[in-house]
Amino acid sequence: MANSESSRKSYAADFIKSDTDQAVFLGNPLMDDMMTSIIALGAEVWANRRRTHIIELLFEKEGAVTSDMVEAYVPTAEEEAQFKKERDAFIQITYGHIARTGTDKTALTDDAIQDNM
Amino acid sequence: MIKRRTLVGASAATASFVGALFGGRKANAAKTKASGFAAADIEPRGSVGRLERLPTQHLEAQHDFITGFRTFANRDMTRAARKRIADIMRDKNMSPVDDLPIEEVLKHVGDDPLVAASARMWLSAQQINWTTLYEEFHGNADAYLAEMEAADNMGPGTLELNPDMEMPDYTKHEIHIQPGGYVGDDFAGHIYHYGTNNFFEGRNDQDELHIGLAGAVPEPTDGKVARILDQGCSSGQLSVALKQRFSDADVWGIDVGGPMVRYAHMRAVDIGVGVNFAQRLAEDSKFPDNHFDIVTNNIMFHEVSPEGTVEVLKESLRVLRPGGVFYPMDFYTGSGPGKGVYSSFRQWWDSRWNGEPWRLEYAKLGFEGFNQLMRDAGFEVNENGPPSGRRAKRNVVGIKPA
Ligand SMILES: C[S@@+](CC[C@H](N)C(=O)[O-])C[C@H]1O[C@@H](n2cnc3c(N)ncnc32)[C@H](O)[C@@H]1O
Repeated sequence: MANSESSRKSYAADFIKSDTDQAVFLGNPLMDDMMTSIIALGAEVWANRRRTHIIELLFEKEGAVTSDMVEAYVPTAEEEAQFKKERDAFIQITYGHIARTGTDKTALTDDAIQDNM
Repeated sequence: MIKRRTLVGASAATASFVGALFGGRKANAAKTKASGFAAADIEPRGSVGRLERLPTQHLEAQHDFITGFRTFANRDMTRAARKRIADIMRDKNMSPVDDLPIEEVLKHVGDDPLVAASARMWLSAQQINWTTLYEEFHGNADAYLAEMEAADNMGPGTLELNPDMEMPDYTKHEIHIQPGGYVGDDFAGHIYHYGTNNFFEGRNDQDELHIGLAGAVPEPTDGKVARILDQGCSSGQLSVALKQRFSDADVWGIDVGGPMVRYAHMRAVDIGVGVNFAQRLAEDSKFPDNHFDIVTNNIMFHEVSPEGTVEVLKESLRVLRPGGVFYPMDFYTGSGPGKGVYSSFRQWWDSRWNGEPWRLEYAKLGFEGFNQLMRDAGFEVNENGPPSGRRAKRNVVGIKPA
């Protein structure tokens, strides 16, 4: 039951745990974990990029920036639309390769090496 | 009506803890809502419309990324995997639209790197979605629990919790791998609400989809709508939208998860809409016979066991008054499941690895099968009822015979 670090009344009941952390799709559990890591890293990079943008915007608008101002900032509709465009472009450039994963498994065979000599 | 301000004002310790927690940032900085709301409300970054912003810029940005990534996984990766599957099947002189048993499907396409990556990436994003939220709410558990405690006895609307209630096992799974599922985590409502906001790829931040669904619910032919039941209400978004549409009606949202209805109630109080939320079972709802004019639910049945489904249908008929309307909304209440190798693969991993244990059985029932169960339960069934806003152009409606 999850009621971390609080003595307040919990309304959580027993539950049945999933085993999804055991799933191996990519042939090697480490590959699966690395995929998760790479996506998590993408989230961190994007979060920092977004923060940098907000700092720049605030600096331009206000001439000074504090972390409270960054936290409170609500982008305008145009800024949000621009962020979204950048975010989607970032995702394409980072992960779009995977959507184009090829099928040719001969890249390292002797024939393929010979062909390129 | 006691304001939350009063309740929480009593606890200086809570207030200073919340202050410390958010680095002394001013609470309610960008607050735009009109409801009487106050100190226990942990909303360090204010609200945009009815969406309380996630409590840090960083978490909000991570979730912005996950929303974008999910769209990428749902569109680009799906398109690529679908095409790859079609190529593989054609190479084997088989058709990608054949309906094969899942063992066959996995034998043919399961070890293709692109096909496997399409599932892996989606699930990885799902895991990150939940863990980031889990960390936030559990990392600041005391303050968030204090916030809910303060709202428990506030109006508008009411909250009923039944922590000792017996719950069927099928409700205890970590559905869509949400940590603790609907019943086992104190922040199930918070985590569900923010986690599903990015399921909807940003199109439901203001409950737009739920407002649309509430608008689709048909009225009984005599036009009398005094009481409405929303089964499996989760964070209460549909219940609130129903109350806003039928403002004179008594609206109830019930859910097996105590933390779900607690959050739903707190959010409804915050928005200022009076719904009665209760931790109760859809199959044993404790309401009198012939009580409701409308009974509805959204995306619940695909998460209910086959036996549970029959029981919920029986109970729905019981609590409806003659002429009352039963309007279930789910994947197949308007049309049947997708066919072919890709659909089988996707439904399989969604069920097996995204923690949707009942969805294959639900898909096997399909549109016709579910409607037949409604007939078996005693409903008069109209298969061509108004659409619920999903892709299908119709939705099944059940009427309780006179
Ligand atoms: C996918 S969510 C529903 C979402 C919600 N209706 C909405 O529109 O946002 C399914 C909900 O049904 C609830 N549920 C499942 N089985 C139930 C049962 N037998 N009785 C009451 N609630 C149930 C779960 O706890 C969960 O909150």
